[in-house]
This record gives sequence, structure tokens and C-alpha cells, in this order.
Amino acid sequence: MKYELVSGFETHIELQTKTKIFCGCTTQFGGEPNTHCCPVCIGLPGTLPVLNREVVRFAIRAGLAVHGEIAEIAKMDRKNYCYPDLSKAYQISQLYAPLIIGGYVELSNGRKIRLHHIHIEEDAGKLIHQHGDTYVDYNRGGVPLIEIVSEPDIRSIDEAKEYVEKLQQVMRYIGVSDCKMQEGSMRCDVNISVRPAGSEAFGTRTEIKNMNSINNIAKAMEYEYDRQVDLIESGGKVVQETLRYDDATGTTSSMRSKEDAHDYRYFRDPDLVTINISRDEVEELRAQLPELPADKCRRYIDELGIPEKDAALLTKYRRISEFFDAAIEGVKSPKTVSNFIIGQMFRRTETEDDKEKFEVGITPQMLGELVKLLDSGKIRNNLAKSTLEKMLDSGKGALEFISESDMGGVDDNALLELCQNAIAGNAKAVADFKGGKEKALKALVGNVMKNSRGKADAQAAEAKIKALILGE
Amino acid sequence: MVTREDVENIALLSKLFVPEEELDGLTESMQKIVDFADAINNAPASDEDFDNINNLSNVFREDEVVPSFPAEEILKNAPEQAEQHFLVRNRE
Amino acid sequence: MGTIAKIHDMLVGREVSCTELTQQYLGAIESANGELNAYVTVTPDEAMKTAAAVDQKLAAGEEIGMLEGVPMTLKDNMSTKGIETTCCSKILTGYKPIYDATVWEILKSQNSVLLGKTNMDEFAMGSSCENSCFGGAMNPFDTAHVAGGSSGGGASAVGGNLAAFALGSDTGGSIRQPASFCGVVGLKPTYGAVSRYGLIAYASSLDQIGPIAKSVEDASLVFDAIAKQDKRDSTSKGGGNTYASLQNDIKGMKIGIAREYLDGVRDDVREAVLAAAEVYKSLGAEIICFDLPILKFALPVYYIIACAEASSNLGRYDGIRYGYKTAQYNGTHDMICRTRSEGFGEEVKRRILLGTYVLSAGYYDAYYKKAQNLRGTIISAFNKAFEQCDVILAPTVPMTAFEKGHATSDPIETYLTDICTVPVNIAGLPAVSVPCGFNAKGMPIGMQLIGRSFGEATILNAAYRWQQAAPEKFTDTKWGVKL
Ligand SMILES: [Mg+2]
Ligand SMILES: [Zn+2]
Repeated sequence: MKYELVSGFETHIELQTKTKIFCGCTTQFGGEPNTHCCPVCIGLPGTLPVLNREVVRFAIRAGLAVHGEIAEIAKMDRKNYCYPDLSKAYQISQLYAPLIIGGYVELSNGRKIRLHHIHIEEDAGKLIHQHGDTYVDYNRGGVPLIEIVSEPDIRSIDEAKEYVEKLQQVMRYIGVSDCKMQEGSMRCDVNISVRPAGSEAFGTRTEIKNMNSINNIAKAMEYEYDRQVDLIESGGKVVQETLRYDDATGTTSSMRSKEDAHDYRYFRDPDLVTINISRDEVEELRAQLPELPADKCRRYIDELGIPEKDAALLTKYRRISEFFDAAIEGVKSPKTVSNFIIGQMFRRTETEDDKEKFEVGITPQMLGELVKLLDSGKIRNNLAKSTLEKMLDSGKGALEFISESDMGGVDDNALLELCQNAIAGNAKAVADFKGGKEKALKALVGNVMKNSRGKADAQAAEAKIKALILGE
Repeated sequence: MVTREDVENIALLSKLFVPEEELDGLTESMQKIVDFADAINNAPASDEDFDNINNLSNVFREDEVVPSFPAEEILKNAPEQAEQHFLVRNRE
Repeated sequence: MGTIAKIHDMLVGREVSCTELTQQYLGAIESANGELNAYVTVTPDEAMKTAAAVDQKLAAGEEIGMLEGVPMTLKDNMSTKGIETTCCSKILTGYKPIYDATVWEILKSQNSVLLGKTNMDEFAMGSSCENSCFGGAMNPFDTAHVAGGSSGGGASAVGGNLAAFALGSDTGGSIRQPASFCGVVGLKPTYGAVSRYGLIAYASSLDQIGPIAKSVEDASLVFDAIAKQDKRDSTSKGGGNTYASLQNDIKGMKIGIAREYLDGVRDDVREAVLAAAEVYKSLGAEIICFDLPILKFALPVYYIIACAEASSNLGRYDGIRYGYKTAQYNGTHDMICRTRSEGFGEEVKRRILLGTYVLSAGYYDAYYKKAQNLRGTIISAFNKAFEQCDVILAPTVPMTAFEKGHATSDPIETYLTDICTVPVNIAGLPAVSVPCGFNAKGMPIGMQLIGRSFGEATILNAAYRWQQAAPEKFTDTKWGVKL
């Protein structure tokens, strides 16, 4: 029997506010243990939370970016569970009246992964287990999070990967989070079940907790999918449970112990008051949103004639798309700009982090100037390419490397002379061409290009050489 | 009806030990208290909605950093600590 | 009587220095606390330091505020930086907060002299003060009787002249009930009038800090000082400004009596309250009787909400960050369970369990949600009542102080003593308890005046007029400092 994978994600994303959600401590990553703490975030008796206004605004931005509906009234609830990383033995979160309802993330195959809701909550501290001892650091305790809860709409591992990437992309674009999975500022809980292909009913799901890389998400889902299918095929039953993924063995295992009977006993947090969100504020925040990657991508394809795949690459990182937007200012062929970025410039920004920052040494205007020279026929493609390399090496503009004479191009007389020289000096190539080897022509053109230092028009040279040899 | 299992379960959730010999007695006393709480079921149904006492909304702080406390203050009352961390030492 | 006004006059008139006065109080505590057990921590250094500062100001001819140099005390559930704060629970032994509660910050800035921290039922859960890990506070009218609870230590200290005033906290009657038992004035302010920041939570939506004092005037002075909006408490709104209207005429004031408040109340208590109503009539007030049938659900609603919130608020005592930690354990979970089981007393554990129960899956709707719903109904019922009257007059407690050890082992019976006090906590309303007579054994009886939301000025006005009309009900005890 064929099986279908059904998956939903709960994605925790740390917000880049300056301070924690309920106190004035910094949210900066790292720091000496327990130095980003105060009586409130270590839950000293008698302390009270006061909600950071910016957290609400960041969450609304996130909601708007994924087409969610911003609630008019939101409330904070307590989620009760006792664990050493949780200083109050409850996490202040939202269940009954979350800030954002619905929304979706659209994938490249056109499918929309619907979102159930997005809520705000606080992060927990960090536990380090060593020789059975537990060390507790509350620096992360109280850092604001949004939790994006999807519907079980994901149907393949590729969709899962793209869903996470798209969320990452859009949250970075709007500046609410750096979404660094390796630093824990983005974490996913993956719900997964399988069912016979074509079936409408859901199978029993398991939940893989706290995944912190896209690679691991893919590997864990693959393992879990196989495990569940094997289980069903061998007549067994999937048990609803929480799992942890072990990177080293590539397997999932149950997290349940008799100690954690899970019943969160959610109730309204009496220490916090209702959040009313005016439509004016929503519209103000909407107006401040940058152009979202999906919209940008569509515009590149429809209005600038960028191929779909390239448009996707350009819009994957906000800085790159902004670089592109600035570079095409006054340029005739945005596609040329795109080619330079995706080609030579991408080669120099290998890691995700590099691409995220996109510090390439030159300004987008410098690239624009170079492409304008090419557009106007003043220089040829090869020269443009080599010049760009020099620009990227030095951080200097195109004119530092291209002289007046370089920009003159090659006139017809000069081209004729170059072609004649090429024919005269390469008797074997000429003979080969005459013998039917089309390829030999390339060598002759190459010679012309070399001797013109790239200024000659390769197509014109080819035509001219052909004509000369064939005596036309 | 409060059962022994209920009491065991809520004790676990409350992170309290109930010694086996006290379980029956506690179940009985919980039953009494729950019976007492059950009185509210005789109250007239109403659609009164309670939000918060003074119907307050939108109390916020601005996103401005306030200096944190020195770690030594934060850890001052810790029953056990090591390397600037709160510590639960393995006593097995 | 050692009222604030008297002390202020003596200090300003240089009849006594603040240092001498403070020494008198510290000496009185030293000799009386063995019997009254009002204080669980005495802070002579803190007190003498402030006293010296006040004396310096006086010597320099500077003016001093009404609360300046006045010896006072805080219930042991208010955070005091560097001073042990235990909630009278084993689980917080040795805990010295690293920050001050807002109320203490305010009073400290006004140079009030902190004599120490006062006794209470553990985590403010109880009505006799006997649930304290330090043993109960005793009644200054007769030490064979309890001071009441949970702010029993504060009421005992003020009644026994071991402090001019005390701050208590009232979740279901914990200021008014001991004030009533100890023959002093206790004000439970409107929810939100006084900041809760630094008050160790029992039930967050019910807790409120207020004064316990020897006179209505004193309660008003202290309330006006502490009722400030606090940006650290999202639920605080501030209040105050009651002193100016204390002496207003109450002619035409409508005083309501709800029959439900008199049901099941002991005869001597009922008679004392009804006699007070007669006095009000003679002062020109109008007495209006009505029914508030919804009140019969107030007690279970209170216990469900209070215990639910408490079960959550008390989850944090896990032996990791502060307070008591068990010595022997096997792993973190075991450590936490042992710490809590050893550190909490029986009543606290009982309420945590009940709170966990009413919030747990399958029971939330039937208990917690339903109780919240009824809370809305009770609030509307009070709002309706206040369309007919300005103040509601009721007994504070259905009885007078019980004898030591008499607070029965039956929790329900004990809970019933809160029946007259809990409704205002549910509705967030202000209420003041004032002495209104004595029973045959000479134990004080209290009555409460309940007001509209943020209507402290009205109830204190009515209470002040009562005190003027019946000063003999405000008698002093043999204990403590005589001024
Ligand atoms: Mg969450
Ligand atoms: Zn903090």
C-alpha cells in the first residue's frame, strides 16, 4: 500500500526586541550565565510581569506577513508545568485568545500551508546536564517568542523544508527575528502521522520536539515516516507520544517518563490585563512592512523578466534583493544584473550567513554602473565579467579598471584586421573548419577576443571569420 | 467523585508526594472540599463574562533596556550554586 | 492611644525623640512578643537607622511627614530587601529578597520606622494565624484566643501597641478578619488601588495590601500614602485621597444591609451590627435592606479561584533558586517533590491540590470557568446594590476570635468563617472593618463597611463618623507602648 505523510509544525521564533517580554533585561544572545537576569525573570516571589509593547507589535508584523488575522482582543494565559528551566513553574503564553488567527504560507508548488494561529510567549532558561548534575542559567528565560502553529497541511519532507525556509525568509525580511536555528532563535516541533494514500482520515500522530536544523528535520521526518509505515504494515499501532530526535543515531525515541504527566492547566494570567489592538495600529504596522519576498519574486518575474528560478534566488535573502533593487536603478537589462549577482557574487558568499549579510565590498550602484557600460555596448561581456572580479577584490568602481580605449569597442576595420590575423596565424584551425569541424571556428574567435582584450563582439567576429574563410 | 487515582494524578502535577498511607484519607478530604465547591453548580446559569477586575487593557512597558542584576545577587538565595549557575547536584 | 497623629504631634513637639520612641516599641516587642507572637522577625538596626535620620531632620528644624518616624510593621509576605521574608513557611526559610515591595519602597522613602515582619498563616492561607510555621499570633484582648488570620501578626501588633500601624494583605478577609478579632481598624482597598509588586502572591486576582491601624484616621493616612499606581504592577490603578473627606457629614448617606450577610451569624455579632445601623440612622443616614442571593455562592467561588491561582503561584517553590531545599533526594524531580512536600504545611498543600484539581483537564469548565462566570454575576449584583445605596454594612466575621487550637481540623468549617469577607475580594471592592462592640467575654466584634469600586473615601468617611459616635468601641489593650 502507498502511504501519505501528514505533518504540522509548531515553530518557535525568538523576537529581536531589545528587552525581554516582561522585564527590562536585555535579550542579547550569550553573555555570562545569569547576568541577563532580574527579580522578574528569575521569578522571585512577589514579582509581576509587565508586557513589552514591542513584542505585540513584532508579533502583529509577523502575523501580517503570513496573511493572518490580527485579533481585536488578545489575552495572556499561564501554561503550568514544573521544570527547572521555568523559573515560575508556568510559562506565560496564550491559549484562549491568541494575537493572530489563521494565515498561510504559500509554497512554490502553489500549495498553501494554513496556519492555525500565532501566539506570543516567553522562552525558558537553559539547562546544562553534567555528570547527573543540572546547571541552570536564566539568561534566555523571558526572551519573547512567537509560536506559529500550522494546520497539518504538509504532505512531504520537501514541503516541510520549504515551509521552514519560507518562514525563516519572511521573518528575517520583516526584521522580527534572525531565525538562527543553530542558536536556538528558531525551533520546530514536528507533528507527523501517516495514512493510506487517498485516505481523508488522519492517522495517530507523534510529535518530535525541539528540532534545530532543517537537515535534522528532514532526517527525523524520514525516519519517523518509515517507522510509522513499518509499524502499521506489521500490524502494529502508532502511539501518540512526544519524541526526541537523536542526531547521532538518526533515530527518534520517546521522551515520556512517569514524571511528566502533561496537563498544562491553562488559565488566564491574573497579573496581566487584556490587549486591545486597534485597527489603526494594525494598518500603521501593515504600512511599515517591507515588500514581502513572495510579492517581490512575482514582480521580478512579471515586470523585470527575471526567470522564476533566479527570482527565487534573488528574493531568498532580503539584503540581496535590496542590493538587486538598488543596482537595477537606471539599468536597461535587470536580467544582466541578476546574472552577475547569482553568478560571480554568489560564488563569493558561500554560507547562509554570508548571503544573509551580503557584504560584497561594492555598492549596488557600482554594479549598476558596470551593467550600464555593457548595456550601452561600450564594453563586452567578457570584459565586464573580469572587471567585476577586480571590483569585488578591491571594492573599487568599474572605471578604475577600464580605460577610455577599452570602451571604444572594436570598429569594423579593426575587427577585419583582427580576423585576418587570426586566420593567418592558425592554419590548422582554418583547415579543420574547412574539413567540417565547426568547433575549430571557436578557436579562431577566441584568438580575436584575446587580441582585442575582450572588446570585440564575439558574434560579429565569428560571422566575419566565417565569411573570410568561405570567401564570401 | 474523587478517586485515589485522581489524587495521585493531581499530586504528581502539583509535585507533591502523598505517602501511600495518607492517600485514602486525602481522597476523602478532597472529596469533601470538591463537594463543597460543587455548590456552584446550583447557581443560576449566566452569560456574565468576567475579564479582569477593573476591565483594564493595554498596560505596557516600552522596549527599553534596564540594567540587569549582578549574577551574585541573582544567585544570592540559591540553596546550591556552581560556576555562576543554579545547581541541582546529583545526590544518588 | 498610640495613633499616628499622636506620634506625629509628639515628635514635632519634641516630647519624645524618634530614637526614644523606637526604643520603646522595640522594648515592648521584646517583653510582649513571647506571648503575642506577633513578630516573626524584628529589625532593630533598620528601625534605629531610620529613627536617627528622622531625629536629624527634626534637629535641623525640617518638617516631617505624617508617617515619618512612625513605628510600623509589614506582614511577612511583603518583600524587604536584605530582610528575611518567609510567608511564615518553612519553604522560604532563610530567604532574603534582593528587592523591595513597592509599598515598602514608598513607606521607606517617607522614613516610616520598620520594627519587623509580622506573623501570618502560611502563604496567607488561613483564618487563625495558626497555620504559621512560627506558631500562631495571639489576641491582645485575651491571649487564650487567636489573633485571627491571615494577617494575625499585624492585627495583634497594632492591637497590642507593638506598632502604630501594620500593612496586611487581604485575599479573602485576611486584613479585616484579624482586625475584627483584635479590635482594630482594617482596610481592604479596591483591587488595584495598592501595588502588589513585592507582595508574595497567594491568589493574584484577589490579593490586596492594606493598612491595619488603631483608628479610621490612621487607616486613611496610610492608605493615602500607599495607594499609588505602579508601573511594575499591570493591574494597579492607584487611589487614595480619602483623608480630606473623612469628616464629611453623612446625613442622607444610604447604608444598605443585605440579609444574606446576617444569615448564620452569631447573635451577639448580629446585634452589634444592627445596633450600629441604629446609630447611623441617628446620624442622619438612611438604612436600606435588600437581598443579595448570589452571595451564597461566594464562598465556593472564592475557594475555587483562590486555590487555582495559588496552585500556579506556588509552583515556583522548587528548591532551586531560593528557600528550603531537601537534603536527601534522587534526581531533580525527586528533589522538587521532597522539597515541596517537606516545605509546605498541610493547609497549603490541600489548597494546591484543590487548585490543581479544578484547573485540570476535564474539570476546568465545571469549576474554574464556572466560578469565573459567577464572579461576573457577583460583580453585577454588587453594582446593582450600589444603585440603591452608598455603603453596605455587614458583620466582618460571623463570630468573635476563637480560642487557641479551636480552629478545627475540618477545613470546610474553617472556610465558613470567611463567609462575610470573601464577597468583596471576588468583586474587587473596598471594605473596612471597624470595631463595633464586644461579646460577653469582652472579645471585640467587628463590622465592615463595603464601598463601590474605588469608593474608599466614602467607606472611610462612614467609618470615621462611626468612630466619632461610638469611641467606646475602640478600646485599647494592656499591652505595649502607652502614649
Ligand atoms: Mg510554546
Ligand atoms: Zn529580567
